[in-house]
Amino acid sequence: MALRQFSRRVAAPMLNLRAAAPAMNARAMSTVIEGLKYMQSHEWAKVDGDVATIGITDHAQAELGDVVYVELPEVGSTVTHKETFGVVESVKAASDVYSPVTGEVIAINEDLADAPGKVNEGAFEDGWMMKVKMSNAGELDSLMDAAAYEKSCE
Amino acid sequence: MAPDTLLVLQHSPVYTMGKRPTEHNILTDVETLASLGATVHKARRGGDVTFHGPGQHVVYPVVDLRASELGARAYVEGLEDVMIDAAASFGVRATGRVPEMTGVWARGKKLGAVGVQISRGVASHGFAFNRDVDLRWFDAIVPCGLRGKGVTTLRDEVEGGREGGAPSAMEVEWRLIDAFAKRFGYVDVDATRVGAGDDDG
Repeated sequence: MALRQFSRRVAAPMLNLRAAAPAMNARAMSTVIEGLKYMQSHEWAKVDGDVATIGITDHAQAELGDVVYVELPEVGSTVTHKETFGVVESVKAASDVYSPVTGEVIAINEDLADAPGKVNEGAFEDGWMMKVKMSNAGELDSLMDAAAYEKSCE
Repeated sequence: MAPDTLLVLQHSPVYTMGKRPTEHNILTDVETLASLGATVHKARRGGDVTFHGPGQHVVYPVVDLRASELGARAYVEGLEDVMIDAAASFGVRATGRVPEMTGVWARGKKLGAVGVQISRGVASHGFAFNRDVDLRWFDAIVPCGLRGKGVTTLRDEVEGGREGGAPSAMEVEWRLIDAFAKRFGYVDVDATRVGAGDDDG
């Protein structure tokens, strides 16, 4: 899955393709993205100012198998650090997912209602789940960086 | 933390839906089902609509998946294997891991269903194995949302192929427990029988 999302990203500008190809090969086995924050329970948070975009990791989607249903909170509701914010259902397992941060949900990925498979195809991209306006940025300190998360998955 | 626990039981007639909205796969209205003695419930498990009732053994393992380092898919496949092993112990060949069709199948018909919930790394809900359930109950639904797929029972699959007739409830329960312990590597199984045990086996 990581390979597929990577190739899509580099394939668009043709000029970059050659330069990007070796990097793609080097990263082909990787299931983490640098610069994101991670939870032990396999959620990621991408921080931009006081907004965190949240989803589940490539490792998590691979473990779950084909995602068939995603239940997300309502926009305007509040999610809490380390508390459940939704459910991801695959094969026949419905798995709770946990919020890396506390704050107000300002957007959810509406596309997942009709295309839950986006979680499998691009866990770190089109498969994002919600955007949260953080009320306590200090919570980010308790999350793992890419290296620590990758190690926890071994 | 409590040790991993296996609950083995038979339900009174009940139709359950999973987390997803699947009301459309119940073909009969709730009032009619109620008049037949069945209720309808929404469960927090994965999967589509199914039926549970007498003659079907429902096994609810409460297992710490994080401690056992099992992913959701591996766990669900393991549950399928448990039912396959139990069926095989009665000489019935069943298959699992059919793409798009979770559960266990014998001669193309559903012998057992799987529906799991995972919360805080702990799995609950589980699987349902048809020993000798009245299959007419399934006429009211599209089982697991799979149109055109039949349901079968262990009794139907062993019919004629086994001395002493259909396997008893007690026998099937123990085969399921045994298969579960073997598949998931449990050594100590501490069993307690609760309730009147007024089953038909």
